[in-house]
Amino acid sequence: MNHYPEVWGRPRDDVYGSYNPSYLQTSGPKTHTQSPAVTGTSVIAVKFNGGVAIAADNLASYGSLARFTDVKRLRIFGDSAVVGFGGDVSDMQYIDRLLESIDIRENYSAHGNTLNAKNLHTYLSKVFYKRRSEFNPLWNHILVAGFDENKNPFLSSADLLGTTYSAPHLATGFGAHLAIPILRRLFPEETPIEKISKEEAEAALRECLKVLWYRDARSLDQYSVAVITSDGIEVKENQQIEAQSWAFAESIKGYGAQVN
Amino acid sequence: MDKLVAQYSRAPHQNEFYSEQEQHDLTESLPPISLKFNLPPVDNSRSWLRAMTDDHSNPSCPIKLAHGTTTLAFRFQGGIIVATDSRATAGNWIASQTVKKVIPVSRLSRGEDKENNAPVPGLLGTMAGGAADCQYWLRYLSQQCTLHEIRHKRRITVAAASKILANLTYAYKGYGLSMGTMLAGMTPQEGPALYYIDSDGTRLPGNLFCVGSGQTFAYGVLDANYRYDLTEEEALELGRRSILAAMHRDAYSGGYINLYHVKEEGWVHHGFNDMNPLFWKTKLEKGEFSNVTSEL
Amino acid sequence: MSLMGQQPHSEAIGYSFPQSTNAPIKEHSFYPYTDNGGSTLGITGADFAILAGDTRSVAGYNINSRYAPKVFKIGGDDETGDGAHIILSVVGFAADGQALKERLDAVVKMYKYQHGKPMSVRACAQRLSTILYQKRFFPYYVHAILAGLDEEGKGALYSYDPVGSYEREQCRAAGSAASLIMPFLDNQVNFKNQYIPGSGEGHALESKKPEPLPRETVEQIVRDAFTSAVERHIEVGDGLQLMVITEKGIEEIYTPLKKD
Repeated sequence: MNHYPEVWGRPRDDVYGSYNPSYLQTSGPKTHTQSPAVTGTSVIAVKFNGGVAIAADNLASYGSLARFTDVKRLRIFGDSAVVGFGGDVSDMQYIDRLLESIDIRENYSAHGNTLNAKNLHTYLSKVFYKRRSEFNPLWNHILVAGFDENKNPFLSSADLLGTTYSAPHLATGFGAHLAIPILRRLFPEETPIEKISKEEAEAALRECLKVLWYRDARSLDQYSVAVITSDGIEVKENQQIEAQSWAFAESIKGYGAQVN
Repeated sequence: MDKLVAQYSRAPHQNEFYSEQEQHDLTESLPPISLKFNLPPVDNSRSWLRAMTDDHSNPSCPIKLAHGTTTLAFRFQGGIIVATDSRATAGNWIASQTVKKVIPVSRLSRGEDKENNAPVPGLLGTMAGGAADCQYWLRYLSQQCTLHEIRHKRRITVAAASKILANLTYAYKGYGLSMGTMLAGMTPQEGPALYYIDSDGTRLPGNLFCVGSGQTFAYGVLDANYRYDLTEEEALELGRRSILAAMHRDAYSGGYINLYHVKEEGWVHHGFNDMNPLFWKTKLEKGEFSNVTSEL
Repeated sequence: MSLMGQQPHSEAIGYSFPQSTNAPIKEHSFYPYTDNGGSTLGITGADFAILAGDTRSVAGYNINSRYAPKVFKIGGDDETGDGAHIILSVVGFAADGQALKERLDAVVKMYKYQHGKPMSVRACAQRLSTILYQKRFFPYYVHAILAGLDEEGKGALYSYDPVGSYEREQCRAAGSAASLIMPFLDNQVNFKNQYIPGSGEGHALESKKPEPLPRETVEQIVRDAFTSAVERHIEVGDGLQLMVITEKGIEEIYTPLKKD
């Protein structure tokens, strides 16, 4: 402890070593094995009347390399919950194994797998929080879509720090910047979700994925959509982004060598 | 090898969630007596903690802890005077102006200040440095002192109590605690006793201490006017005046003057008074603080 | 190096302007905290206590959600909160706040089962302090405020720093807009810098003594504090969640705030 009046009570350099701000660094050279390698980009989801729609593209990037172009980032749990994964793919696969073993265990019980999306989200957020507290995070940002115990549509997010939040429409990664404004314009927060139809929700997600494909350099034009209703989960994998219009690209100037 | 096999032959979810022990710890309604603390699982946890909490080296550090500041205590013929300011700062932000920096220790003197003026038996501890560190460890000390009373059927001596605290801070030396505390009390074995204990593990008996960022200002006034044979009135006034000087000159001190007198029968509280009227009274009636103009 | 070493002032005085900390960046490591912004505020009266918080959750400049509550009932039913007699607000890192809330909730419930009576606010306040201090070396990044009614039925409010130093107060603002709201409360609740007109001249002017305020006044102060904070802080807005605890129980009120 320092006894000089002006720094009274603070740590002393000779005891604690000089102040090391690198612990506060959130960017910079990554030397840790705990940083993500093969990653997926945005996941987006919207609640609608009677269910939730969720979508993600099929790409797993290795840095700037579009490494694996057929990776399904929507995982189904039980008969009415879908988890969409952004971030590290190996951690996604680990969580998938985790969920699978829970599903198996639950199905051995007398009642079958009764865990709903809300239970699943609570569980996963606690796994994330525990791992961040061990400084060994699972490098993902996930969306969980499905129903809560009252059969109401449920949509919530959890990230590598264990932070959770929910809203009528959510997006992770680049989608938080590009898709959320579109979704907020299409479905203003004051509109009750009962007024949003399944078709509108699905069309909105496709529109958002198209915008992401235009501007997110780590995205792909092949994607998966899952629509969860009380009838079950309808998953469409290997979807193709259609009706693209690259006309806007003509007018973009100022990149690289082209300056005027 | 067995460990490896065990790790991979189990279902993955089995080691992912909290263990029985961890779950038990989380829901236990009493705090553990074994003093279990979670350390951040990084190579250099001390350096990590410092990076997060040292508001002096890095004014924009993420977690700013409340710090306390000017405290003093001195022995004189009528017992011991203990006086403190009441400001707590977190960085440059004044987190509170009403901190109670004198903390009663041991069971008999626990609880809120009594309405009547009867002395309360027991020890007094003061708080400078990390507010949480002082509050927690004086609470821990209080528990130990109470246990001592129950086991030995007499009150703990100030020497013994201060030793418990000093042993503790020494055990945690280097972990990043910050506290400079004084223990004052009067026991039949020792008479009036005053000890200084800090988070380096230092434990010093003495007649007169000032602790905190405003210590130098308080020492200036206190040393100039201190005599052992002060009357009770004079001693209380000197304690008050010393704290006032520190509040005036030290930006990290201020708020209210908290004044205590430790006597043979126990301690007596002499008020928690706003410094501002006192400052103007001192200036206008006694002509001190002539560096300040009184013109409006 | 001793205290009186060669470089006594190597650790320079803390100025209010930023100083470069010139230690070299040694390593990149996982940073386990984030700030989810927002603000909370508590005020007590003679027979009630109010705890309020805005409902915005942010990550950097992104708004995660417009309804993420920061004020929680402690010791009640999990879903409805019925039977709770203590309220807690947490602001800072939301995942830590959630973990802290769940932990205190478990402790208060265990206390009831083990002792057959509800935990007093005073006991709960001290227990929360030890829970926070248990993580002294890896702190919860939260500012907590606890409220309830004391043994005499008066409103009780306790405020905490991240590692558990606590104090009973009349009013307290915490979170990102604390520095905007707290001076307002000093003036309006504790009557700081208010004097009794005509009580004297110059230095003899007598200051106004604070006294417990009626509920309507307090509620209005809370609303004014938040509408003002919303105008001047980017991390505050969307909604105001207000909990009032009286001997009749806990009343929860939600009112919208500006959403820009």
